[in-house]
Amino acid sequence: MFARINDQDLEFEANETILDVTRRNGIHVPTLCELADIDHAPGTCRACIVEVRRPGHAEPEYMTACDTPLGEGWQVMTRSPKAQEMRRLQLEMTMADHHQDCSTCPRNGNCELLSVANAVGLKQIRFHYQEGWKDLPPDTGAQPVVYDRSRCIRCQRCVAVCRKVQSVDALEMTGWGRTAGVRLKGGNVDASPCVACGQCVMVCPTGALAERDQTQNVLDCLADPGIITVFQMAPAIRVGFGEEFGLPPGTNVEGQIVAALRTLGADVILDTNFGADVVIMEEGTELLGKLSEKKRPVFTSCCPAWINFAEKHYPGILPYLSSTRSPQAVVGKIAKTYLAEKRGFDPARMRVISIMPCTAKKEEAARPALGENGRPDVDIVLTIREFARLLRREGIDLKSLEPSAYDDPLMSEYSGAGAIFGTTGGVMEAAVRTMFYVINGKELEHIEVSQLRGFENVRSAHVNLGGELGEIKVAMCHGLKGTRALVEAVLSGEADFDFIEIMACPGGCVDGGGTLRSKKAYIPYALKRRETIFNIDRKAKIRQSHNNAQVKKLYADFLGAPHSEKAHHLLHTHYSPRPRGAETSVQAERRKPRAQDGK
Amino acid sequence: MIHCVYGVWDGTAIDARRDPARRQTSLLSGFDEVAPDTAAMAFIADRGFLILDESTSLAFAFSDYLARAADESCGRCTPCRVGTQRLRDLLKKVVDGVAAPGALDEARALAWQITQTALCGMGQSCARALYEALVHFPEEFGAMTPAQAVFQHSFIYVTAPCIEACPSKIDVPKYIDGVKNGKFDFALGVVLDNYPMAGSCGRVCVRFCEAACRRNAAEGPVGIRMLKRYAADEAFPRQRLKFAPSAERHDKRVAVIGAGPAGITCAYKLLRGGIQVDVFDAQWASGGMAALGIPSYRLPKDVLKAESEDVIRQLGGHFLYGKALGRDFSVDDLLGKGYDAVFLAYGASKASQLGVRNEELVPQGYASGIDFLFKVYRHVEGGEPFTLAGDVVVVGGGNVAMDCVRSARRMGAKSVHLVYRRTIEDMPADREEVLAAQREGVVFHCLSNPSELVVKGNRVAGVRLVAMRQTEVDARGRHGVEPIPDSETFMACDWVIAAIGQVVANDVLRPEEGIELDRWNWVMADPDTLETSRPGVFAGGDCVLGPQSSMTLVNALDHGERAAASIRDYLLNGHTHVTAERHMQKFLANNHLLDDKRLERMPLEKPRAHVPELPVDERVRNFAEVDGVIAKETAYEEASRCLRCYRMYSLVTVKSLQGGYTQGTRRDAPSARAMNTFGAPRVASTPMR
Repeated sequence: MFARINDQDLEFEANETILDVTRRNGIHVPTLCELADIDHAPGTCRACIVEVRRPGHAEPEYMTACDTPLGEGWQVMTRSPKAQEMRRLQLEMTMADHHQDCSTCPRNGNCELLSVANAVGLKQIRFHYQEGWKDLPPDTGAQPVVYDRSRCIRCQRCVAVCRKVQSVDALEMTGWGRTAGVRLKGGNVDASPCVACGQCVMVCPTGALAERDQTQNVLDCLADPGIITVFQMAPAIRVGFGEEFGLPPGTNVEGQIVAALRTLGADVILDTNFGADVVIMEEGTELLGKLSEKKRPVFTSCCPAWINFAEKHYPGILPYLSSTRSPQAVVGKIAKTYLAEKRGFDPARMRVISIMPCTAKKEEAARPALGENGRPDVDIVLTIREFARLLRREGIDLKSLEPSAYDDPLMSEYSGAGAIFGTTGGVMEAAVRTMFYVINGKELEHIEVSQLRGFENVRSAHVNLGGELGEIKVAMCHGLKGTRALVEAVLSGEADFDFIEIMACPGGCVDGGGTLRSKKAYIPYALKRRETIFNIDRKAKIRQSHNNAQVKKLYADFLGAPHSEKAHHLLHTHYSPRPRGAETSVQAERRKPRAQDGK
Repeated sequence: MIHCVYGVWDGTAIDARRDPARRQTSLLSGFDEVAPDTAAMAFIADRGFLILDESTSLAFAFSDYLARAADESCGRCTPCRVGTQRLRDLLKKVVDGVAAPGALDEARALAWQITQTALCGMGQSCARALYEALVHFPEEFGAMTPAQAVFQHSFIYVTAPCIEACPSKIDVPKYIDGVKNGKFDFALGVVLDNYPMAGSCGRVCVRFCEAACRRNAAEGPVGIRMLKRYAADEAFPRQRLKFAPSAERHDKRVAVIGAGPAGITCAYKLLRGGIQVDVFDAQWASGGMAALGIPSYRLPKDVLKAESEDVIRQLGGHFLYGKALGRDFSVDDLLGKGYDAVFLAYGASKASQLGVRNEELVPQGYASGIDFLFKVYRHVEGGEPFTLAGDVVVVGGGNVAMDCVRSARRMGAKSVHLVYRRTIEDMPADREEVLAAQREGVVFHCLSNPSELVVKGNRVAGVRLVAMRQTEVDARGRHGVEPIPDSETFMACDWVIAAIGQVVANDVLRPEEGIELDRWNWVMADPDTLETSRPGVFAGGDCVLGPQSSMTLVNALDHGERAAASIRDYLLNGHTHVTAERHMQKFLANNHLLDDKRLERMPLEKPRAHVPELPVDERVRNFAEVDGVIAKETAYEEASRCLRCYRMYSLVTVKSLQGGYTQGTRRDAPSARAMNTFGAPRVASTPMR
């Protein structure tokens, strides 16, 4: 089939949209609500207007490129003056009931809506409608993700990513007319299927969805001379932060971040990678124990959205989760015990502040089990976006800083194994390196376990651990859609694995719900960041968790041995089912035979 | 006679103000019936507008119309959400005489933009007439006079082709929105506003809505019924279908005769409005023909019970089972015992006779379709002994005939034959039912008619069939048929089941009770109010519908609902009335205003979902439900196919029409009413937590 677009005769197939064909041929049409990376074209913003002359129609017509199938013999003009004028009117209307107080918006500086408004040449906004949102009560909740309907453009990307990519389906479209928006099913986090993974934030084109901003709390801590600030940085942070300050995506900026923290006035700078090494000591030991008792499979437990998912969606799987706390929680706990003891800090004056690629970590830190006497082990969790905000508020330009090194003698060293925690398969590989050593008393010959390194959402592999255990079957999954399928297969007995690593976000932590946002793209830098992480491992002097000297010292001086009573008390936790009202497994109910079936 | 003074219709401007000879009368008819007590001044629709009275304020009429559009806008797409608000405000200023220069130009550009670029039928249709008016008659947009402010009222009716096609006028796009938006309780609540039998209707409805769906002009209609079932089934296992007695209480009691779909729906609506109800039924279970006549493989009886008997009991209604009108009591008895009104919904469960030789012997192996289905029902659901063996012949081409052949197959018949005097194409049965019967191995003998039962020793031994041929096409578009002389053949069989229709029993009502029947004993009831000739007695369902040959579940549900409204009117206000909505519905139907099935622009092709079904070899062995429910992902996809073909029809009159538009009645709260008893209210402004 052929159509003429601008001055080109172009071939296309039936049921291709005008936008499909213009994109393929490099012809620009401004779009706003559409997000090709998640196959989402709801047709709500109506910005992508083009002029169309159809055979048999005397008058030109104006159609939206994203949801109109191109027809044989059509003549499409993307730049006709009328189409451009109509796009401007469309954006004028979009802005008319949008909360235009951009100075208070969490998306200030990289808003997709403003980009598109500029792109269509918007010059005036003649009318304003605030009735839909001006009386909204302020959000005073504690949930990690905040929704502000006044900035929502009803693109429904969040609903789509939650349904289609994560299969969590926690969001519903609600309201009517000017009050249309989204909300959690059931009205709040507890009642809804929401697991706080933050993928909704990653696709939101505006500031309607954002993390709960805690930068002020950090500034307050830094300003208080009586407080000892203890920072930790997750494995994924250093590879997903440089682009915010103009460095190429995937640049390792660990040294600059350490320098930035020092400039901020951090008292202690730790690395969550150290915690990851400790986790491997605990989790690896736990796994070997369970394998010898034939309690299998064992699921990893470092991803908080995965924990939420298991607690809310599949409580039957909870007995199979590792009891080992996450690296963030481990660093928090050890900092307020071991570090406090060794360096003479009063734990009550310490504030552990994490920089995480994750929204769910905010919720994890608030779990009552992860604290002592009502005092959390981790006090404040900043997503990487808040960390960027924090540096800007303090006038720190990351790009111009000289890289600096850690100086904490107790909790900042890490192995290559700890470093790869940030990408899918990394926890598994780190555990394999240490378990192999524990069983065989020697290091794995090929340190990089290539069969664990694919990027498919669900992967499985066989790994020979030697000794009595021999070959074990492992699976790795990133993204909750695949996780759901895998968990159901495990529960039904169809899947047979010994060890399963789950990361709730597609791409793993390097693309977590707390990472930098992209415009008109969903996790575009996944592979670059992953490659940098592998390079950190490759260049590491020590590549196994059990060879980390500071970890050895921790066990020798403080914990005793992995899974000692003290380690168990400090570094392990438990999970509880969290029934929710909004939804139950209707499908499962339907599978039950009805009484009258059969004669 | 009402003339159009000026206006635009389908893009053509009409102006008879200076040339009365050009006044058009033939365009639309029946305005006076919509506004029986006042004068029609103007009509605004998706296709244009007609001014019938020159004193009409055009600006005021459109100001009302766009104000409603702004309230109807779902708010998803920008031009409809914001554009309608802006138009409303611009027109208000024109009406008030305070519009800035250029306001009409801005309004015209906006109306054009909304019409051209809105996402759904609502936005695409709500500003078209305004655009035409601003192009052809901008000079008419002046400030309103004080007289116009008093003597001009808009009655605005919002509907869609699928809604108007449905006897129950259920808001189909709204419950599809509910599914699409992930609010399954909300979707179910939309249905429950009309009737309680959502899961039953979602399984067996004949789907007038899907026949009217504008997506027929593309790749096929939206799976409306499967979505209704999805919403109902989401709630069913979680026992979300829970009602409490109404907080409203009236000291009135109504007797409902018949616990079928019409009776149950009437009782449901009365109870929800605080009127006490006792339901009488000759059987010992509720559901009527939906229980007895529809086999369990199409409608599982636990689903039916949950949304008939259980709902009525939860609402505080009572059942008096095993009581038959005419046998155990009379209408006089009921009214004498303190019932304030009676609803007759006793159905039509007497079988029509074939009218062939030896039928009067009633040999073993001969049964009517209804009696056969009753036996099967009592066997499957109640465990009563009933065996069927050998070769079975079913006569008829309707849904009951299909139920009989498919049930016979499941009861273990050696072979099952369907004999029908016309062709397959002429069968009144649902196409899907015909296909299912064929797939299940039923042998069809069309253009064939029984002429004699062959009986041996009081048992059916076979049937004599005569071949038929087609004659000319009749008024309903079907070929007539006539027997071919000397074409008689013999077919040996063990069973003959005559499923050629039902009639109403003639021993239910006595003439002295004052309820008028027609000569076939069908109850005569007012088609709008369902009043009978006796005050306080109303009738609906199959016992009224019969002669119109429209005995379907959804027609009965509609009757039950409308009868309840009339009974409530009668009991609380002393008289019944026909709503303006109903007048408008008839007006729209008479003028074929929603029959336009052409799509101006083709939507992206999205194939219709398939309902999962049990494999044939598995299902013919038992009465397990054949059709499954679609998966959630499928439901989302299917719901996204809805084009939301809403349109608004405004009749402007001198006096306000009863039941007219009040602000805010149709917002996100279609189910604010239902939600009192059903789930938590959805508050739009709750921040995400």
